[in-house]
Amino acid sequence: MQVPLVLKEKWFWYSVLSVLCMGGWTLLGKLGTTEISAPTMQFLYPFGWVPVALACLWVRRFKLERSLRGNLYSISIGVLGGIGGLSFFAACRTGGNTSAITAATAMYPLITVVLAVMILHEKLTWVHVVGLLFAAVAFVLFSL
Amino acid sequence: MNIPIWFGPAAVVLITWGIAGLLQKLSTNHISAEMALLGLVVGFFLLDPWLYPKESLLMYSSRSLVFALVSSLLNALGAWALLAAMKNGGKASIVVPFTALYPLVTVSLAPLVLNESITALQGGGVVCALIAVVLLST
Repeated sequence: MQVPLVLKEKWFWYSVLSVLCMGGWTLLGKLGTTEISAPTMQFLYPFGWVPVALACLWVRRFKLERSLRGNLYSISIGVLGGIGGLSFFAACRTGGNTSAITAATAMYPLITVVLAVMILHEKLTWVHVVGLLFAAVAFVLFSL
Repeated sequence: MNIPIWFGPAAVVLITWGIAGLLQKLSTNHISAEMALLGLVVGFFLLDPWLYPKESLLMYSSRSLVFALVSSLLNALGAWALLAAMKNGGKASIVVPFTALYPLVTVSLAPLVLNESITALQGGGVVCALIAVVLLST
């Protein structure tokens, strides 16, 4: 039996790892918000990132890249991610169903895809479009 | 129409993370995944002065604090893996939707970990999400 080509792609396995870690993040995040307020959760948040940041520095042998544009983009991700994270924890604190909140907030790629097609001029195949439709249906079903 | 109370903050998440998804690709066009993650942490810390808690952290149980820190550690690993996926040839329009299927893990484990029940409709969502993963990674 032939192994699908995508299984040989590094990006696929990095994506799978991301899915597993993000899933764990939502569950533990919900457990944390049962006691801790949303702003305090988000305040604590960067500290959990420090070990990974240090590992990244170590991998890079403590050499920093000097691309102003690249660094500004990445810092902006942090600011936007932080605001989003604060809102995510606030949503969790409302007592809503975690699965529904997680699924609804995970719809953000639909915005990314629209922006990627408009701004980065990335092309989608019809298979990808159908995949996005299934993802959208999944997210809606999760939140019902 | 009875809109759940969590929809407001969820909408903010959609917009901010939707834009952040695009910026992830733009940043890894210029710098490595590791460097992008460092910038991301800097961005997080920039918000901390506004989020400094009024109450002492000692008032919380160590259990909750561990949950908070481990959850952010997992999120950091997840974000690094996402950036690495993009750096290794993944398109933003494919990798971002693919990695956003993490609710599969949440929905699957929430009944066990959080004692939250899963409905038949949510089960249908799991099936659709699995199909989406296959199609998006084709």
